[in-house]
Amino acid sequence: MTEPVVSLKTYTGIFLSLLCLTLATTLLAYLDLGVFNMVIAITIAVIKATLIVAFFMHAMYEFKLVHVILAGGVLWFLILVFLTLGDYLTRGWAK
Amino acid sequence: MSELRSLAVREQFATADQQRETATVGMWVFLVTEVMFFGGLFMTHIVYRLLHTAAFDRGSADMSIVLGSTNTAVLISSSFTMALAVHAAQEGKWRRLAGFLFATMLIGSVFLGIKFAEYYQHYREHQVPGFWFETSDPDPGGLQMFFVYYFAMTGLHALHMIIGIGVLAVLLFRSGLERFTSAYHNPVVIAGLYWHFVDIVWVFLFAIFYLPGLHL
Repeated sequence: MTEPVVSLKTYTGIFLSLLCLTLATTLLAYLDLGVFNMVIAITIAVIKATLIVAFFMHAMYEFKLVHVILAGGVLWFLILVFLTLGDYLTRGWAK
Repeated sequence: MSELRSLAVREQFATADQQRETATVGMWVFLVTEVMFFGGLFMTHIVYRLLHTAAFDRGSADMSIVLGSTNTAVLISSSFTMALAVHAAQEGKWRRLAGFLFATMLIGSVFLGIKFAEYYQHYREHQVPGFWFETSDPDPGGLQMFFVYYFAMTGLHALHMIIGIGVLAVLLFRSGLERFTSAYHNPVVIAGLYWHFVDIVWVFLFAIFYLPGLHL
């Protein structure tokens, strides 16, 4: 497969979106939403990370093996988090 | 041009495409090992945050949101110039490539400068974990643990930035020698992947260290 080329217009659009999301996540953090503060912060961080991976890192335009490796990395981290939290959260240690 | 192209393909590869795919897969695998590397720290941070949620929020409230959000914007800008450097390399414009590589290094250095100014501020306020740590917080252990994670994770991130700037310096030198053409510029793209990954790590560090204390 030949190398993916992303247009300058796309790069600029992603750059501006990332700046807007940074502003949005900072302003939203001033509201007291309880547990949802962290949910919103992580959700916006995941959206920003996805934009960077898909466009700045060209992952969206790359061949399938890259997608498999990327999915493997994400899946591994989710296994780590879910199994560990499954243990800690059922011990009654967290208040 | 065809001669340049054949020079660009090392002898173990059949085609330039195969060479590019090999380099790309190799870098993505490396980045997954980096996810594991940072992932362990993120995981244990989640656990300590669950055990000391209030102290971690109060620790976060001691961060400077002005410096933190500025640094996020600075790092995103450096990722943008890195993407533009890759684009210039793909078009074979080596002067523009050198310019954007230099800009990326410069903006990356600004990030490190702001980061170390923050570290100095924490040091002066006795927030560095250890013998000098001072606080009147009801959960001093939890607060100290917050700063252990803050320094460990942002420090590790800063180390990645320093390595990244070193890598870009080598590329800048080689672009000055006109080593990169529209047919061969794998090193620029690969270094770009690393730089963007380091940017992504910061996006999450910003979310877990700077944002949680803002509503207090």
